[in-house]
Amino acid sequence: MSKIQEVKDLVAAGKTKLVPGKVQEALDEGNAATEILAAMVEAMGVVGDKFSAGEIFVPEMLVAGKAMQKGVDVLKPALAGAGSVSLGKCIIGTVAGDLHDIGKNLVALMIESAGFDVIDLGVDVPTAKFLETIEANSDVKVVALSGLLTTTMPAMKETVESIKASGKTGFKVLVGGAPITPEFAASIGADAYARDAGGAAIKAKELI
Amino acid sequence: MLTKRQNLLETIRGGKPDRFVNQWEAFGGVMGDPCKLRTRAERGGPDAVDSWGVTTTWPANVPGPFPVHDYEHKVVKDITRWKEVVHAPSLDVPDSAWDDVKAQASQIDRNEQFLTFFIAPGIFEQAHYLMGIDTTLLNFYEEPEAMHELIDYITDWKIKYAELVCKHLKPEAILHHDDWGSQINSFMSPEMFEEFIVPAFKRLYGYYKSHGVELIVHHSDSYAANLVPYMIEMGIDIWQGGLKSNNLPELVKKYGGQISFMGGINNGIVDVLDWTNELVAREVEEMCTSCGKLYYIPSMCGGGPGATDVYKAVSKEIDRMSSVMF
Repeated sequence: MSKIQEVKDLVAAGKTKLVPGKVQEALDEGNAATEILAAMVEAMGVVGDKFSAGEIFVPEMLVAGKAMQKGVDVLKPALAGAGSVSLGKCIIGTVAGDLHDIGKNLVALMIESAGFDVIDLGVDVPTAKFLETIEANSDVKVVALSGLLTTTMPAMKETVESIKASGKTGFKVLVGGAPITPEFAASIGADAYARDAGGAAIKAKELI
Repeated sequence: MLTKRQNLLETIRGGKPDRFVNQWEAFGGVMGDPCKLRTRAERGGPDAVDSWGVTTTWPANVPGPFPVHDYEHKVVKDITRWKEVVHAPSLDVPDSAWDDVKAQASQIDRNEQFLTFFIAPGIFEQAHYLMGIDTTLLNFYEEPEAMHELIDYITDWKIKYAELVCKHLKPEAILHHDDWGSQINSFMSPEMFEEFIVPAFKRLYGYYKSHGVELIVHHSDSYAANLVPYMIEMGIDIWQGGLKSNNLPELVKKYGGQISFMGGINNGIVDVLDWTNELVAREVEEMCTSCGKLYYIPSMCGGGPGATDVYKAVSKEIDRMSSVMF
């Protein structure tokens, strides 16, 4: 088995202690850092698919994400020399009135694992904060909004509409959360809807 | 006509109920905090710190309070050093501290209702209040020994609390709040749940059962169909809050007689801004007809009786289904 394949398997299995060493071995063997990173991104895609299918649970996703981060830490010096490998920036947050963070955190983890630079604004984020952050990051590619409560659906609507009405362009708006449906997403003018964290990462990549 | 209490027992024991148990009607709820454990933020007010050291916040535009889990506010920043920072609150209060809940209890008609004490947060929730849910779940993988120790510590403390509850209040039922899943799956795998969570609840619910509590009602408004065999093992009589996504009719068929199911009417479906009586009627009718008369209590999934128009509309439709099906 190639070293890259071994890295991929270890990330998917969430072997946080073993990944850094294996990544270093892969580099020492002469593999390109970008190639190793791509394998880890692919591994996280598999993890996301399994999560969506209910085959694995939140801890398995979290530990895989942590394993990937450990691997990226080893790759960073080499990646810096290879130029940017990011897919772009993604601003994410839970809309105003909602403090639930685990779904948003999982989506942020998966989107980051897919290759984006994530700017996580946290929970209960006012529309103005999203707009300010978009203003400050003119190269943003995706704005991801999360909401768990039916009571915060109006806030999600207001946020999407305000972002769209701001005239700012160059990015797409992705929404999700328990009460959100594809129909609702379309009705408020969002560009895309994702059902869960794995789906969000796939959708974010499709949007750019 | 059976009393509300008799009707519930007939329902969950496979007898002959004469109508559906209508949501929370058979439970005489008692709430209180005799040991002053749950200091929490008020809506729009300043953040508050409870007796475990957990900071809660309740912004004015948010429906409820939440623990704050930025790095600065986490009680447990390093699970391997939890013993240095986690200190269970004192339960040493005068007997008079229980007067208020005793007064509530005296108002309950025991022929009609079970004297039911509400307890929250649960064991898993207490753990993640201390450090954040992501960190808690990750720690099950990375530091299992420390997590076992912490859960044992929380459970020991909750059993000491149970001693006081049973001594002073003598409840006939408890309603214990511990959310175990999202809308589509349990938070953790059944194997992980079996290792970390099940033994703790077997001890706790075993204590209540051996000290006069007849009914253990466990609230988790989530998907948790994959955990039902463990709920039975823990001694849960009624799982309250099971979302529609659990396929409750199938669970009733498979496990009815060992446990009963209360819920199935998702707040997220019926308790919406543009709700209608037709929507409520459709949801209630679907659940009542598909789950049947035994081992199922039609109810909204939220963890307690409500005074909202939607709650009342659901109750009215359950009465209608009783007249149709019984």
